[in-house]
Amino acid sequence: MIGNDVIDLVQSRKESNWRRPGLIPKLFDVNEQLLISNSEDPEIAIWVLWSMKEAAYKIWHRYTRVRKYIPKKLVCSLVTQCNNSAAGEVTCGRRTFYTTTQLSQGIIHTVAVDNLGNLNHVAEIERDRIFKDYYGIPYIIIEGQQDVSPASVSNHGRIEKAVAILKPNLHFF
Amino acid sequence: MNREELIGVLKLIIEPYTTNNESFGNLNEETDFINDLQINSANLVDIVLDIEEKFDIVIDNADMERMLNVRAAVEIIEFKLSEQ
Repeated sequence: MIGNDVIDLVQSRKESNWRRPGLIPKLFDVNEQLLISNSEDPEIAIWVLWSMKEAAYKIWHRYTRVRKYIPKKLVCSLVTQCNNSAAGEVTCGRRTFYTTTQLSQGIIHTVAVDNLGNLNHVAEIERDRIFKDYYGIPYIIIEGQQDVSPASVSNHGRIEKAVAILKPNLHFF
Repeated sequence: MNREELIGVLKLIIEPYTTNNESFGNLNEETDFINDLQINSANLVDIVLDIEEKFDIVIDNADMERMLNVRAAVEIIEFKLSEQ
């Protein structure tokens, strides 16, 4: 399964005041708050963590079919981070999701998977390749394969990103 | 404050975050903040904070979890006010 979330910082600056008193404790647990306050750029840190929660929530929702507003139950940790990218984990109860985040030109894009090995097989795809099943869950049809592959799409402000897990075709012979 | 008045106050809170004006015009207890009003999920917390300030109540995590539509918001506000 896969989930993604994109944040356009130009848009988020119009829509949200992350400095609003009381806002951060409602969305982020103590460790996440420390990550934010220790960050050189708290605004980026907040939106990276938020996009991790949103991307992981999409997978959680697809498994449970439950809709809830549970940012504090999606607990983020960062495994590696540098200027333009981060890798992390999001746990929700007994489930763990693995994330990669890219930051480029004011756009934050996080992809989450529930199988760590699938992170290597995430590819950006054309939006119009995506179909939705009866429950509204997006997927794509892979040419030459019997199976379908899970997909995810997110849009915000200037940007839309569609991704899917595209495993290499192992049927060489 | 009766339910109708309460929804009226709630509408004033919700309006700045709404991007679907047609759904906002038809707002009722079944209206979903995200699916119908197309409110950004990052702004749901602003609605929670606005409700806390306007009604002088505290909305805990358990209440916030189900604050996805007008009916849930109204029920939570009514319950919190009844406790005061």
